[in-house]
Amino acid sequence: MRKLLRVYTALLKANLSEALEYRAQIFLWLISSIFPLVMMSVWLALLSEAKQIAGWGQADFVSYYVGMILVNHLTGSWLLWDWDDDMRTGGLSTKLLKPIDPFHYHISGQLGWKALLVIFIVPVIVGVAVLSPLVTFPLNFLTSLTFILALIFGFILTTVIACTFAMLGFWSTQVRNVYQLWFGAGQFLSGFIAPLAMFPPAVRSIAYVLPYRGYLGFPLEILTGHLTWPDIEFGLITDIIWITIFFILYRMLWKAGLRRYEAVGA
Amino acid sequence: MRKYLRLLAIFYKNTLINELEYRLNFLSNMFLSLFWLTWAALSVRVYFFHADSIQGWTYYQTLIVMGLFFGMNGYRQMILTPNLSRISEYVRMGTLDYMLTKPVDSQFMVSLRNIGVYNWGDPLLGLGLVIFALAHLGVWPSPMQIVLFVVMLVAAAVLLYSLNLILQTTTIWLVNVERVDTLVQGLLETGRFPVNFYGGWVRAALTVIVPVAFMTTFPTQALLGRLNSSTALISVAAAIIFLIIASTFWRFALHSYTGASS
Repeated sequence: MRKLLRVYTALLKANLSEALEYRAQIFLWLISSIFPLVMMSVWLALLSEAKQIAGWGQADFVSYYVGMILVNHLTGSWLLWDWDDDMRTGGLSTKLLKPIDPFHYHISGQLGWKALLVIFIVPVIVGVAVLSPLVTFPLNFLTSLTFILALIFGFILTTVIACTFAMLGFWSTQVRNVYQLWFGAGQFLSGFIAPLAMFPPAVRSIAYVLPYRGYLGFPLEILTGHLTWPDIEFGLITDIIWITIFFILYRMLWKAGLRRYEAVGA
Repeated sequence: MRKYLRLLAIFYKNTLINELEYRLNFLSNMFLSLFWLTWAALSVRVYFFHADSIQGWTYYQTLIVMGLFFGMNGYRQMILTPNLSRISEYVRMGTLDYMLTKPVDSQFMVSLRNIGVYNWGDPLLGLGLVIFALAHLGVWPSPMQIVLFVVMLVAAAVLLYSLNLILQTTTIWLVNVERVDTLVQGLLETGRFPVNFYGGWVRAALTVIVPVAFMTTFPTQALLGRLNSSTALISVAAAIIFLIIASTFWRFALHSYTGASS
């Protein structure tokens, strides 16, 4: 355990300094935040004709989408692309020679970027929240803690999901496209396309038990004060169940895939 | 002119043959394009659960804009990105020197040498969505409206190209202007919806400063017979003026380019 901690500290340092060299990317991430803002303006256009939509007013939508930029960046992951590159280029073979599981390289790589994001994006969002009367995040001590917990769960969830899909790379070259299908379909049920409150109740009930909401809609609903206690508990438990399922799947596929990989390499 | 067409045929044929070798990839990408188109069409539907029309646009009218967004974005990914985004690389790697020695126009070479085959289905599928939406609306445009529509589309394509070339040409001096393409992509995203969906100053900015309205909203209006003639004229004029500016700027940049080896 202590050894692993030392390895992580070293990897994190290396990854953070690497991330710092690409500071320009931060600006590009802000640009990539345009999509939520585009969707927000359509809701605002709708609101100019009606006072409220499904009980949501102007401030609700603005807070939701500004919060989305934050949550999206913090739980998002491009782990799959890293894994896929490793498998295609043979980088995996080099990593297998080292004494720690390749999993840790990928995780620490993600954490390095997250650290940088926290430094750059969180102040921007907090600034917007303080300056704009339309952006309100009604958090108290307890809900702040659950929000952070939900964010961490969300990050772990995207991580294990990406790892699971990455393992398909042992058998197929189309992993990126398969992942895009999974991810794209999920955007309807994660709260990305629109707040889940805007969907018919049947769609909402399905979304609540699927894994997608865990990494976007759920933390976001806590942040914007749209969730109360029994629902928060339900969300956290759903997160834990899906994390467990995907982690087991990932490890099983990893073991099976590795046997295959070694067989091909030998 | 004929020489240039023959060159294009050779360039593109090679790329296509290469891509077709990986048939699974080819089919998989096509399927993915279809998926994202359906995704986009369904995602717009959510808004119309709550209203019949938004700022005077019905669901199927909005779908036409969405279809054109796919078309424009596909055009960007097929023609603009594989070519113009490499200017920076050409400068860094010294490839530009080599290109300048060729007996063909340099602007032609940096603009059309490559073609991206990854998204070749997008413009076709986008057009398919436009036709699908028109069928649902039940109003077929008159021949005059179709002509105007095509003119507006060409103007939009030229305008997008010119703005891209101007932005990318700056890399001749500032070698490290990376990812201008991502910026353009981000801005073009706003073209998914009619420009009328955006409030006050954003709408003004999307019409005058970043001419996204020209890319999808105006051609749709032409198709629906809603475009006034002054907007059409401005569109065409803007395309011609920006093409001249971009071309002049490219030549000007080459004059101050001293080569990679000196």
